[in-house]
Amino acid sequence: MLSRIADSMYWMARYLERAGETARLMEINLLYLVEAEEDMGEEDKWRPILQINSSEPLYVEQFGGGSISTSRVLQFISAGRTNPSSIRTSLRLFRENARVARDRISKEMWEAVNEIWMSFDERLKGTLSAERAGALFVELRNQVARFNGLTASTMMRGEAYAFYQLGGCFERADMTARTLDVKYHIILPDLSMVGSALDYYQWAALLKSLSGFEAFRRNYHSGFMPADVAEFVVLNRAFPRSIVFSVEHIGNALAIIGLERKDATDAAFTQLSEMVHVTSSQIFDTGLHEYLVSLLLRLAQFHGALVEEFFQ
Amino acid sequence: MYSAGIQGNKPRTPYHEFYADDFTPRDHYRLLWDHIKATGNSALEAKAHESQLALRAEGVTFTVYGESEEGIERIWPFDLIPRIITAAEWVKIESGLKQRVRALNFFLGDLYGEQRIIKDGVIPPELIYQGRDFRREIVGIVPPGGIYTHVSGIDIIRDEKGEFLILEDNLRTPSGVSYMIENRVIERRILPEFFNKYRVRRVEHYPSLLLAALRALSPRGKKIAEIVLLTPGIYNSAYFEHTFLAKEMGIELAEGRDMVVVNDIVYLKTTTGLQRVDVIYRRIDDDFLDPLVFRSDSSLGIAGVINAWRAGNVAIVNAPGSGIADDKAVYPYVPDIIRYYLGQEPILNNVPTYQMTNVKDREYVFDNMERMVIKAVSESGGYGMLMGPSSTPASRKEFMGLVQENPRNYIAQPVVYLSRHTCYMDGELEARHLDLRPYVIYGEDIEVVPGGLTRVALRKGSLVVNSSQGGGSKDTWVLAE
Repeated sequence: MLSRIADSMYWMARYLERAGETARLMEINLLYLVEAEEDMGEEDKWRPILQINSSEPLYVEQFGGGSISTSRVLQFISAGRTNPSSIRTSLRLFRENARVARDRISKEMWEAVNEIWMSFDERLKGTLSAERAGALFVELRNQVARFNGLTASTMMRGEAYAFYQLGGCFERADMTARTLDVKYHIILPDLSMVGSALDYYQWAALLKSLSGFEAFRRNYHSGFMPADVAEFVVLNRAFPRSIVFSVEHIGNALAIIGLERKDATDAAFTQLSEMVHVTSSQIFDTGLHEYLVSLLLRLAQFHGALVEEFFQ
Repeated sequence: MYSAGIQGNKPRTPYHEFYADDFTPRDHYRLLWDHIKATGNSALEAKAHESQLALRAEGVTFTVYGESEEGIERIWPFDLIPRIITAAEWVKIESGLKQRVRALNFFLGDLYGEQRIIKDGVIPPELIYQGRDFRREIVGIVPPGGIYTHVSGIDIIRDEKGEFLILEDNLRTPSGVSYMIENRVIERRILPEFFNKYRVRRVEHYPSLLLAALRALSPRGKKIAEIVLLTPGIYNSAYFEHTFLAKEMGIELAEGRDMVVVNDIVYLKTTTGLQRVDVIYRRIDDDFLDPLVFRSDSSLGIAGVINAWRAGNVAIVNAPGSGIADDKAVYPYVPDIIRYYLGQEPILNNVPTYQMTNVKDREYVFDNMERMVIKAVSESGGYGMLMGPSSTPASRKEFMGLVQENPRNYIAQPVVYLSRHTCYMDGELEARHLDLRPYVIYGEDIEVVPGGLTRVALRKGSLVVNSSQGGGSKDTWVLAE
């Protein structure tokens, strides 16, 4: 298939996944805030979200450092003019890439792309109260899930589909790694609090923003041990938002696409794959933060190889 | 020299397609009229709303330039009352279009070959040589079968007497055919009961006719033809149509940057390496086609594609250089071109046209500017023209200056009051002006798809039907009997 179309299929999936995951993150944070501890300032509540969204410096540039407020962050993450990772920008680029690949996706998918864009564009740009925003984010997540269902049931299983899968899994692995890295480190310093109510809510919020709360509870019965949460989120092969799950699905997509004469991609994927086939004690020997940083680096290198060997 | 002659001021009432007089519909509209009367306006309102929703959901859009850098994407405006053409009317349109397209292809072959028509004094040489779309670079190249315009979209209007006249020949990259089909799909879904009352000829096979014509051009034979549709990209006003046609024909939708020429062979850049291209259905102008031959600043085209074409390794549709035949300064000569190559009288007449290079014509036009349309010869889409009746003294003065500066670049026509048709406008049935663009495919033979795109000037009293200028459209029914 055309390199440019492969690129668009890949990015189409990445932007949709990014929009959906960001909406999920926001929704859980809003819920969590309703009952958050009184001594926690708005800044502490929202800074992690800006960090995961990689848009903290831009936010500071636009609003100044000490002014992180719920309403501003809501606006900035939803449709901030200067935020290239805003939900609205992700949806716009999702649609733009779908337009480029219009002749490769099914009619049902294309109609859903338009529906999603038309129903969220204006609402994301408007002023959002916390309540309205919460409902909007839930609706968006549902639309993303519906779109993924439509894709699974109407799109031909060929190369284009494989590139779409590749993009979706890549973005999910990337978002999961960044969410875990940021959140884990906020929660971790309070080791004295292990087992406390606060501890429960914070770990629950992290797992819920990855849609993994119930699954985690079913698998681990001794409360929220930090190492267990990390192991679950990184290494559980049955959990569809774990990093290993995403990486293995990237591997499946690559098998369909084929790696003959694609040495750089092959090598980058092998390195990425090695990183997720480890034990949790190996991860903690290195340190979780260090581990996640090098995982993100491997992901970036893998992306670079794709660009070089497939998208140009 | 063909001239429009000097015309007096006579009262002019546009022809009404739907009504014979104020209270009686024309015979072929009678059934439709009875049906509309019986169902009433509220049913129409619901149908109009439904059609809007369908067009939105399907993303049937076009882009208007100039309002922002990326253009504004608009939903295709559709009016649900169909325009009906009788079988007898169609016979004349069809034969007239075939005759015209055949003659224009002989004309192009001659211009890029022996140039007999110039030597015989039928067409003044400067008209051709000064034409922006005459491409010296390709003189002497004969495209496969000697066919230049595999796809033509010819604009037809109806004057006050109801006579069909040719307004414009679009022979470069005529657009709109996807909307012709979408209009039919929507109309049939929304108003199936209308169809039960008439025998309407089908139009949805257009892409398969086009595909057959394209395949037949493959230098490697039609069995292994790799065909691409070359688009300028997602910001082009007709991008919707490009994706539509690519999907319908099952061919690759490619941009210039997706292709590369090696040793005079065109290749697609794919994820598994280079793949040979046999036929390019291009939807970009000659100017942008090949930066090595035409505009060197073009990033939309494919460097080297003209050499590959010259070597016979790839077919380009429509052939480069076709634009000179729809140059508006050539237009007044088309009746003579038909007589010259075919020895026949034109079946469909031109709109009377004044040449601005002719001093007498020019003075007459300047004296009567309020009743004239002045058009730049190489523009299309309603850009670069002056509509006399709605002009201001300042815009008239501006155009007078432009014409004097470069008379070859302009023509003028008396304003023709395009025929009108009943449209459903915000709850009321009102008359609006319209035209017709049928599509002609020149493959092994010439075929005219029975129908076309009827474009409607949605603003009351307006004579401008271009979608870029606030035009809409209707489904167009050619009756089988």
